[in-house]
Amino acid sequence: MRRYVLKRVVQTILTAWFTVTVVFVLLRLAPGDPAVSYAPPNPSSEQLEAIRREFGLDQPLLSQYWTFLTHLLHGDVGQSFQFRQSALTVVLERLPYTITLAVAAIVITAVLAIPLGVWMARRANTAGELGANIATIAGQSMPDFWIGFVLLIVFAVNLQWFPSSGFTSISSLVLPTLTIVVLQVALISRLVRREMSVNLNASYVTIARSRGVSERRLTWRYAFSNSAIPVVTALGTRFAAMLNGVVIVEVVFRWPGVGQLVVDALERRDLPVIQATVLVTVLLALFVQLAVDLIYPLLDPRVRLGEGAR
Amino acid sequence: MALDQTAPPTAVTPRLLRRSAAARRARHSTIKIWLGAICASIIIIPVALARVLPLPDPVRGVLRDSSLPPLSDGHLLGTDPNGRDLLSRILFGGQTSLVIGLLAIVISGLVGIVLGAVAGYYGGWVDTLVSRALEAQMSLPLLLMLLLVVALFGPSIAVITLVIAVAQWPEPARLTRALVLVEREKPYVAAAQVLGLRRPTVIGRHIIPNILPQVLVVVFLLLAQAVLLESALSFLGAGVQRPYPTWGGIISDGRELFVTGKWWLVTIPGIAIALLVIGVNLLGDGLRDRTRRAKAGDS
Repeated sequence: MRRYVLKRVVQTILTAWFTVTVVFVLLRLAPGDPAVSYAPPNPSSEQLEAIRREFGLDQPLLSQYWTFLTHLLHGDVGQSFQFRQSALTVVLERLPYTITLAVAAIVITAVLAIPLGVWMARRANTAGELGANIATIAGQSMPDFWIGFVLLIVFAVNLQWFPSSGFTSISSLVLPTLTIVVLQVALISRLVRREMSVNLNASYVTIARSRGVSERRLTWRYAFSNSAIPVVTALGTRFAAMLNGVVIVEVVFRWPGVGQLVVDALERRDLPVIQATVLVTVLLALFVQLAVDLIYPLLDPRVRLGEGAR
Repeated sequence: MALDQTAPPTAVTPRLLRRSAAARRARHSTIKIWLGAICASIIIIPVALARVLPLPDPVRGVLRDSSLPPLSDGHLLGTDPNGRDLLSRILFGGQTSLVIGLLAIVISGLVGIVLGAVAGYYGGWVDTLVSRALEAQMSLPLLLMLLLVVALFGPSIAVITLVIAVAQWPEPARLTRALVLVEREKPYVAAAQVLGLRRPTVIGRHIIPNILPQVLVVVFLLLAQAVLLESALSFLGAGVQRPYPTWGGIISDGRELFVTGKWWLVTIPGIAIALLVIGVNLLGDGLRDRTRRAKAGDS
């Protein structure tokens, strides 16, 4: 077990290093000069040169990378070009907003999608299930920026039930969460339905039914327990993906999270902030995945981590 | 499926058969396929014919006709503040979306099938290499990377297509690999090997034709994702640039105007995207039910 966790932590760090390196190389390979974004209008070549020197962009690529890595080991990801403070601080200030949104969205998704999926599996091949099936397909087919925008207009601008943008009070959470939940419920409930119908048609359920086990118990205690692992995995993966920034929803609702931050940083070519965001969110997402994997033995006593096939 | 009319009397009436789970499942997949085909063609056919239809220019507008509501004279879906016809912009924007989407799934489908099949059949270090690449990509924040690449390398159709294709190749690759692993153990593959066929021939002529229907359905379903990704990118300003219309771009431009009561500039393109994507998803889902059933039937 301990060896398993250690191995996974090492893998996580390697993956994060890989991702950050890819981003680092892409940012440097890209055409265009970040210094131009921070110079006065019509800059002279001396001015540009000074800015490049200040940001360390005048160094050769490899030595820039070396500086980046050595500073990284000391927990320093560089100064933000636009905010003139540690890029890490900038990112960590925005992170709670994204986490709040992601937690709210994943909790509501689980609460709605699991019963819906179980219901669809129980009523397989009925007209009601066909309707729900088509509805979930529709749910995963609508562009999220469009859903968000329509919700914004109807509930924030016309009815004025909720604030339209930014984060002012807890009611600010409602519309962004709802936008994310539409897509996630559609995806997760379809997964629950698939897993549940496999298990409900398995022979152990038939045998239990012949022994007189109640349908409720068959559904939840028998079939659902056995569907739990894939469902929890999917919820974990979705949650981890949201921590990488729910970019679209954050932009639509001007939510002050990391997704919005990274879009702004891309526009202004604020390289340290982009790198810091990628590093922090990827690490966080990977550790969420790890935590999910560590839950497996609790859900299913048959699972032993770090032995056999893994 | 056809019932034998001369069969001996039995308690299983045709009515019962029609109500059986298998028959219902077949009917449901037919409903999904038809519904999907209708939704998708409502969008795809006019988009494909955009150059033939008598439409106003999608890029240059007539300022006199600025911000007309839908069903105005000569502008079925109304116009934007620059007097450009919305229907024309949606149809030409749809061409960009569909071209990018189709090219992307062709590339990701080809790459995915070839790499997945090679990894599944050869195993060993080839498999390790492909599987690691798949895992590495899974851990990358997808939309962020897409935005990054497009923002940095310029939003041309080629870049956007490639970026979407790269984002999508894991799905067909993983499915192909899993199917090839199963197929590899079947007697016909052993027979082909005994006949002395070379390994690429075994894969290309014997294995792939057997798994192609299942893989193609998944590749087709990627079209839905590709269209959504493209519209998301163009919504964020990382799509094909103005003045050329894109679905995401039209919606993004319409945002400020919506508040002033010009609802059509956001609502109608959104419905167009949703209809196309719902159509593709329903059609693919129905076809997937079909191929699964056919597969279960012959084994």
